[in-house]
Amino acid sequence: MQTRGPSIWERMLSIDRRILYLLLFANIVLFLLLPIRMRAAVSPPVQKFYDEIEKLQPGDLVMISSNWSASTLAENQPQLEAVIRHLMRKKAKFTLISVEAQSRDISYRLASRLTPEGGYEYGRDWAHFGFVTNLIVSIKGMVNNLPDTIKKDVRGTPVSELPLLKGITSLRQYKMIIDVTPSATVPFWISYAPKETKILYCPTSVMAAEAYTFLDSGQIKGMITGAKGAQEYEQLLGIVGLGTRFVNAISFSHVLIILFIFLGNLALFMNRRQMRQEG
Amino acid sequence: METLWLSGLAQYQHAADNWFAAILIAVIATTVLVSIAIARSGASLYIRRIPGLDAIDEAIGRSTEMGRPVTMIPGMTAFGVVAVQALTIFKYITKQIARFATPMRLLTGDATVYAVAQEAIQDAYNEAGRPDLYDPDAIRFLSDRQFAFASGVAGLIQRERVAANFMFGEFFAESLIFAETGNIVGAIQVAGTISFTQVPFFVAACDYTIIGDEFYATSAYLSREPVLLGSLVGQDIAKLLFVLIAITGAVLTSIFGADAPVVKLLGQPGGWDAFFGGGQ
Amino acid sequence: MWQIQNPNTPTGQLILWMIVLGAFIMIMGLVPLLHALPPRGRRAIIVIITFITGLFFAIEFFLPINKEQKNFLTDAIQPAQQAVQVITALALALGTYGLVRLHLRNVVQQRAQWGYSLVLLISFVMMATFSITNTLSEQGLVEKTPLLEQGFKLLFDYTLVQLDAAMFSLIAFYIFSAAYRAFRIRSVEAGILMFTAIVVMIGVVPLGATISPYLPGVANWILTSLNAPVQRAIEFGVGIGGLAMAIRLWLSLERGVT
Repeated sequence: MQTRGPSIWERMLSIDRRILYLLLFANIVLFLLLPIRMRAAVSPPVQKFYDEIEKLQPGDLVMISSNWSASTLAENQPQLEAVIRHLMRKKAKFTLISVEAQSRDISYRLASRLTPEGGYEYGRDWAHFGFVTNLIVSIKGMVNNLPDTIKKDVRGTPVSELPLLKGITSLRQYKMIIDVTPSATVPFWISYAPKETKILYCPTSVMAAEAYTFLDSGQIKGMITGAKGAQEYEQLLGIVGLGTRFVNAISFSHVLIILFIFLGNLALFMNRRQMRQEG
Repeated sequence: METLWLSGLAQYQHAADNWFAAILIAVIATTVLVSIAIARSGASLYIRRIPGLDAIDEAIGRSTEMGRPVTMIPGMTAFGVVAVQALTIFKYITKQIARFATPMRLLTGDATVYAVAQEAIQDAYNEAGRPDLYDPDAIRFLSDRQFAFASGVAGLIQRERVAANFMFGEFFAESLIFAETGNIVGAIQVAGTISFTQVPFFVAACDYTIIGDEFYATSAYLSREPVLLGSLVGQDIAKLLFVLIAITGAVLTSIFGADAPVVKLLGQPGGWDAFFGGGQ
Repeated sequence: MWQIQNPNTPTGQLILWMIVLGAFIMIMGLVPLLHALPPRGRRAIIVIITFITGLFFAIEFFLPINKEQKNFLTDAIQPAQQAVQVITALALALGTYGLVRLHLRNVVQQRAQWGYSLVLLISFVMMATFSITNTLSEQGLVEKTPLLEQGFKLLFDYTLVQLDAAMFSLIAFYIFSAAYRAFRIRSVEAGILMFTAIVVMIGVVPLGATISPYLPGVANWILTSLNAPVQRAIEFGVGIGGLAMAIRLWLSLERGVT
């Protein structure tokens, strides 16, 4: 007795995953290269983020905790670039700190590349504290005695000798903390940073889901979520950065995934129908 | 434990910063301890069925039939409460594995967990009466770098074509790499995590997923020890207490407004200072 | 109170070395003592040490504080956390030793797939050599030669960083295959899951706003009004579960791995 081969619906249900990967790859490359620009609807968390930085006065001091490495570059780099540009626009001064060596190097190089655009000088307008091994201990230490906790910056200069930090002895003197991270480090800032210092958050899209509770309760004042959030933020700033360029690929990848979800369900439905008819 | 307590009280490093929260912790602790005492005195306690945990024995049986190993992954969990719970679960699994002499691999991304896991797994084999089956090389510390660990685990799962994959602990972005690789080789996968953000990936890629505090209930479910069951009942009572407080707070705030003394006492930072009007 | 006064003076240095030596002797004495004890005696010591160390943190938390937000135990928290870091570093050395031993044995005995072990060992030695030398050169202890600079750049910037990014980007592809397989309407709940996922996926990207101005609002509502409360509920349960587990460990009621 001849057995029939798999129907088209059965083949669709068990499609080789390599075909899916190839299609996604082609989709991403195509839409990265195509110069399509779409306007985003700015979400409330991003608007809040923007508004908080807009409230900064020239000379206000901001702490940027940059904990991302190459793996989350696509999401965190656009965020950090946009944040630094906005801070420079407001003439706010900032210091960077990281919790691992790779993120220290990446954020230091990024800031060194961007800061000349705003006429910022290292030591006078911005500095990098290098990396710390224990974030909780470091935050507590910076609240009590910042120069004693950090001691030297990434270039080996004693922190107390930096013009930027003249008279700064505690994290309490910072107006704002911005956490750019793919990890769950913001609860530590919320728990141990001074209550009067505002906290803003730049997570990857995956980590954003668990931050809405902090946003709701006011423990963080604003949030930029991944590359998509960076694109909304860039739109508010009126610049075209990495976020704007990446978001096309993201948008149309979502469309491709949704299309295949529909196709998968169609195949499931048609296959069941066929089996009932044969049945 | 300190981090757990302190991170649970946002911005409060001491009880004096928010006495209400501190009292709540003490009440929860007391509830748990009283429930443990009741359980120890012989009370019969009910625990509902958790399908993912019932599937553990089925998965081990399948591995044994296929002659392929079982992998146990506590993830990048740093040593602490979560890691201890994960290792407790893996100890149970190892005792089941020892009955059938199924090969196993325990892969960690934290060196402290690796050190403790070696002792725990050796104990498990001893308790199962099969100390000869213990192989120190089956417990491996791969790397503490997230994606180096992920690639090591993925490679091992693919090369050894594991038949069952148990992932319990705290996971981050690497979770989908583990789960999907296990899916590619056709392994039965049971995952349990407290990491809320990774639950969708496990739900999509694993056969069974244990969410949230079901993870902490696992040891009670598997062992049925009175202490653990009592603790579970105490946790549930504490959760009911939270629900009542939330409802009470919502009703009181709706009726009296957010500035009422009783609302400030319950919810505002500053503890007694806020209540007496002198605080933040 | 918990810090050595004037550690840079000869007396301070002497006290420091005496403390280090004393701790070393105590630990070296503790290990054979623990081995010599019967299991019940060993367990008793572990239970006592666990209880006292947990009690320290509990008491420090509950004791009243002064205007500086401290009580007499607060200054001891930092040394205690530093002690944990020391233990973590020792464990890392142990883990690294275990890793190298395993793969060295694979290569020497030419076990199955020993080629991968060889690659690991070579990479390990190269990366460790260049990283340590680079760190020493940053501190001025070793000369920074062009070979060192280029080698470190090749291994770190051009290999490690890129491999990290490549592994992370696998997730995008895995999500596609997982979503294609998982989002099938096999039940009412699965249908709701699929529909919600599609609305959020389209609503959060600019394309959603282009399709309909209401989509971003709906997606945001799902994230903030459905997702966030559920997450809070789960986090409450997890927090209570963690607290209960911590109490059991502190009081040695948890027999799991102890």
